[in-house]
Amino acid sequence: MIGRIRSQAFETGKFLTDWMEHRTGIVTMMEHFLYEPVPKRGAWLYTLGSATLFCISLQFLTGILLLFYYVPTTDHAWNSIYYIMNEAYFGTLIRGIHYWSANFLLVVIGLHMAQVFFSGGYKAPRELNWVVGVALLLLVVVLAFTGYLLRWDQDGFWASVVGMKIGSYSPFVGGPTIRFLMGGDVIGPSTLSRFFALHVWLLPAALAPLIGAHLYLLRKHGVFGSEFEYSDRLAKLHERERLESYEQYEEDEGEPFTGRRDREDRE
Amino acid sequence: MAELQKDPMTRGDFLGFGVLGAVVGAILTIPPAAFVLGPLIDTDVRGQSDVPSGPDDWFEVAPISEVPAGTEPKVFTVEFPVEQVYGKPEIQEESGTSSKEFTVPSAIWLSWEHEINADGTYGQNLRPSFLDGKSEGLSESEIEEIQSTLNVLSSSCAHLGCPVRWLIREGEGEFLCPCHGGIYNINGEYVAGPPPRDMYSYDFEVREDGIVYAKHQFDTGGDNGPQEPYVI
Ligand code: HEM
Ligand code: FES
Repeated sequence: MIGRIRSQAFETGKFLTDWMEHRTGIVTMMEHFLYEPVPKRGAWLYTLGSATLFCISLQFLTGILLLFYYVPTTDHAWNSIYYIMNEAYFGTLIRGIHYWSANFLLVVIGLHMAQVFFSGGYKAPRELNWVVGVALLLLVVVLAFTGYLLRWDQDGFWASVVGMKIGSYSPFVGGPTIRFLMGGDVIGPSTLSRFFALHVWLLPAALAPLIGAHLYLLRKHGVFGSEFEYSDRLAKLHERERLESYEQYEEDEGEPFTGRRDREDRE
Repeated sequence: MAELQKDPMTRGDFLGFGVLGAVVGAILTIPPAAFVLGPLIDTDVRGQSDVPSGPDDWFEVAPISEVPAGTEPKVFTVEFPVEQVYGKPEIQEESGTSSKEFTVPSAIWLSWEHEINADGTYGQNLRPSFLDGKSEGLSESEIEEIQSTLNVLSSSCAHLGCPVRWLIREGEGEFLCPCHGGIYNINGEYVAGPPPRDMYSYDFEVREDGIVYAKHQFDTGGDNGPQEPYVI
């Protein structure tokens, strides 16, 4: 009886996956996405990219949840966060995750970058993925900056004031950029609206497709330093050395190389 | 490249595409760009401010009698109203949507100008002596004298905007910024640390009733470049 149910369930499952595979190719795609040969040495370091992705996913999920209660106006921003922290079920947890994950995100993104840098993973043909990665880093930094003001407490407010003041010293673009961010010439209600629009709409919308591009390029070239890459490179290196030794032979002997002989043999 | 062009483009086509592209491009980009850059156009191009600073927009700081007579400043808070995004005050009032006005609470240090000796110590206190006996009903020339010797300084450090505090050290006081240790003397003049210039002083006036009024406007010039107080 149990056995029959099991085999029937198995058949049904197989039928469903086959059906989906036929129509969407999803199984091949998942296989492609989930199985990635990584080098044995220092395999753990290769999880830093995934850790970054994990933190960003947490930011998106908890950020969307926070929006159910957060009110982006000077009258209510602080109170709505107070409500999240004290009244909403698990509000402390959701906001805490958003806050701490933002901090960890900046740490792991730095470590991830360092790993790529020190392993030389940015080299050809992966240069563009490094460029996309830098854009992602900048977006995340600006996201963290704009998020901090949304609390609209003394801490976030003055940190943003100092941050903007630092930016205002940049030659030529500093002043206009800061006025654009503040929505005027002093920090006020429109500053909060603008930071909110940037933090919740513009920057996440820019972040998402870039993450897609980052992962696409990663899959296209594979993780740097995978076993295939090493054996490939070694094979190429040996081939080049072999050709060079032929050339050397021709130069030394003044006649084409015809067989595998050592110099001593011919003497 | 050449093989790609099955239909070679004529010069007329080229011009047509160019003009059309420019027109469509302008229609698509100008409205949204102007929409988000509005405040920049208002403040930079048209020179407007979000804080009312017209000829009548003076805000009371403190009576002149409250400025300490000695070598010591005193801080007062002024709430300058900010007019941003929430529309006209009259309409807000009528609709009753939000009676709360947004303000920039600004801390203002008042003190009397001092002569500064060559070694940096304080010399003579320039406080007008007639103030010992009276603090209102001032004459025109008295007002002028007060205005030329009163320091009206923004507490926002000229470096990155942290609020400075008054610190007494070895019997003499100075403004110390808690963030990176910028130091200014009682006149707000730069003494040490990273700030690129003197403290910002407000445009102010003293009236017959002996009260100091300030505008949300600063001396933005100075020897060390025209840094503006972008964020105060
Ligand atoms: C890489 C992505 C992100 C980073 C680094 C980030 C960072 C931050 C930070 C540092 C804060 C201040 C938190 C605090 O001090 O309590 C914040 C607040 C906030 N974020 Fe994000 N965030 C990200 C993505 C998002 C997304 C995608 C959304 C929504 C769609 C969002 C919605 C919010 C909201 C509503 C707040 C205000 C509530 C609060 O301050 O706790 N965030 N964010
Ligand atoms: S902000 Fe005052 S010294 Fe840096």
